[in-house]
Amino acid sequence: MHLPAGKISLTAKLVFLYAILLISSVLLVSYYSYWNIWQLFITNKTSHIRARAKPVIEHWLQDQKITDPTSMAKKISRRNLLPLARDLTSKDTVAIILNKQGDIIASGKRLSEEPTPPPPDLKYVGKALAGDNEVTYWSKVNDKAILVFLIPLRLQPDSSTIFGAIQMSTSLADIDQILLRNGSMQISAVAIVLCGGVLLGYLLIRYSLRDLHSLTDTCREIAKGDFSRKPKITRRGDEIGHLARSFNLMINQLEKMFDSQKRFSANAAHELLTPLTGLRGSIEVLLRGAQDNPEVLNRLNKGMYKEVNRLIRICDQLLAVSKLENSSHVEKQKIKIHSFMKDFIQQAQLLARNQTVQLLQGPSLTLIADPDLLEQILLNLLSNAVRYSPANSTISIGWKSLGQTAEIWLADQGYGMDEKTLTHLFEPFYRGSSACKSETKGAGLGLTLTRTMVEAQEGNIHVNSSSGRGTTVFFTIPLASRIS
Amino acid sequence: MKQIQILLVEDDPVITEFLRTGLGYEGYAVSVVDTGNDALNIIRDTTFHLIILDIMLPDMDGFTVCRRIRNRELKIPILMLTVRKEVADRIKGLDSGADDYLTKPFSFNELLARIRALLRRAGNIRESARIIQGTLVLDTNRREVRRNGRQIELTPTEFNLLKLLIRHPGRVFTRETLLNRVLGYDYDGGTNVVDVHINHLRQKLRDRPPILIRTVYGVGYAFHPDET
Repeated sequence: MHLPAGKISLTAKLVFLYAILLISSVLLVSYYSYWNIWQLFITNKTSHIRARAKPVIEHWLQDQKITDPTSMAKKISRRNLLPLARDLTSKDTVAIILNKQGDIIASGKRLSEEPTPPPPDLKYVGKALAGDNEVTYWSKVNDKAILVFLIPLRLQPDSSTIFGAIQMSTSLADIDQILLRNGSMQISAVAIVLCGGVLLGYLLIRYSLRDLHSLTDTCREIAKGDFSRKPKITRRGDEIGHLARSFNLMINQLEKMFDSQKRFSANAAHELLTPLTGLRGSIEVLLRGAQDNPEVLNRLNKGMYKEVNRLIRICDQLLAVSKLENSSHVEKQKIKIHSFMKDFIQQAQLLARNQTVQLLQGPSLTLIADPDLLEQILLNLLSNAVRYSPANSTISIGWKSLGQTAEIWLADQGYGMDEKTLTHLFEPFYRGSSACKSETKGAGLGLTLTRTMVEAQEGNIHVNSSSGRGTTVFFTIPLASRIS
Repeated sequence: MKQIQILLVEDDPVITEFLRTGLGYEGYAVSVVDTGNDALNIIRDTTFHLIILDIMLPDMDGFTVCRRIRNRELKIPILMLTVRKEVADRIKGLDSGADDYLTKPFSFNELLARIRALLRRAGNIRESARIIQGTLVLDTNRREVRRNGRQIELTPTEFNLLKLLIRHPGRVFTRETLLNRVLGYDYDGGTNVVDVHINHLRQKLRDRPPILIRTVYGVGYAFHPDET
């Protein structure tokens, strides 16, 4: 399928949206899990370090033989506290001890590989000096994340006298490393998931939209006038299958309309060309010399006059058909069927001089119709019946109610017509085999016009007939109301 | 010379009328029937040199008539007339046994030309290129005119005028007919053009009494051959 330049296909749009959704959900999940792992690590580390510090401090208190606050106050000095700071310092953790003013009394860092302690943050130190056992915060030394814990220095964890604070800091480099490794793993996993997901999504979308492409191609073929191509997907139960079926329906309807249009044009041309042949030939023969003979001139002129009248008749009927088809010139009113039919029968008897016209009374009904059109319909049908019935036969007219509509029928005991004629009867210019034998050549538009007039009044028309057994035409007209 | 018999199978009265009249004027004997069955019946008893067959007939189509005629192994030339111009129809017509095909509305001149061609092919007429009338010899192929062996230079219009007159010795042509046939139906000028051409023609032919191209007063002109 080719789209105009600069337009994005539906597949691309869906894949793009789908990829964005996939990426954002994957990112959200990985961010959440990253954050969780981080939290777990920190909690773990914090409790681990605090737990390690506790016995060391107790041991120091014992070592210094501190039993009461007074003895403890005497021991707050660099010399006494240095061992504690050193004991609390390990390869990844360094401790410093601060006095009540926040000044560093002792630092545990001895070896170069031990981390450098961050300078004490007085905001947090203040909290610890106020008795908070759980002060933990972040800091940065040389752009490296460091976790800092503060432990108030006192005899018992709950005693009110605080002599200073121990600041322990630990590098987070190891956690970072683990998370980084984890992160890179996650990134590749995310990449794989994304690629796979997008590919799968693309395939799925393509599969779903595949029939749309064939539908588009078919549309294009039809636009070129080739109705033989139809969308093949009729087994699909989803929306696209539905679309395809509706589409098929539409194509069939269009094809029918197209065909009848084509036939109409071909037939119209044919009907116009035949009299034109007569005219042209007659003129040519006259010009070649036949005009010198007054008798021949007169004969050919009469023929040409007939042909011209035939052309005019065809044009008139064509105009009448198109006028009825294109306009709303129907002036409907309430018509009492009894009185209407009574008037019509009088006209009908004049028209059918060789036949008997019989009116079979039906129920009392009020029609909604244009009286002129209704009369024209009946006259057209009657003149057909007269034309194709033998002398002394009976033509009967009657009606009945179908609930919402009245069905009016006109039956003759004429020659009838075969199946083939019956199917093409209402087609413009169609003439049945018996019509060709007829003396008066119509334009072949009478029944087309009749049907158009019936349909202009929201009715429909059909014919029952077989060769040699007469013809009955039924048509419906809407009812105003039913009077019993 | 025996008369050429043409059977016209056509149901449209006006077309029938002009074809009968026009072909009659050209010297053909025309019989007319308006159904396929009548056509098949009449060719059983009568011999025709050519059939002009319309495709749209009330009882059967022209293709069927054509096939039935060919099934009887009759080799009569058949010229079909139809409104349909589609190639498929033409192929169908020719395949059903027609020898030629003309679509309506056709030019009568073309119809005549095709009839002549069909008759020539069937060997029914030997249209000589040379028309000899008395001392006058007209060669239509070489467009040459000689009188008593002496060549006469003519303009195309004069040649066509002479050809028309010489082909129908004795027949009186009105000035209008001569004008239409020689200068075409579209020519709008007056008929005295014909008199001018006739005068030129007489001078070039050294036409002295008893003259070849005679004036028929109040009507037109006629050709009468002289004795050799």
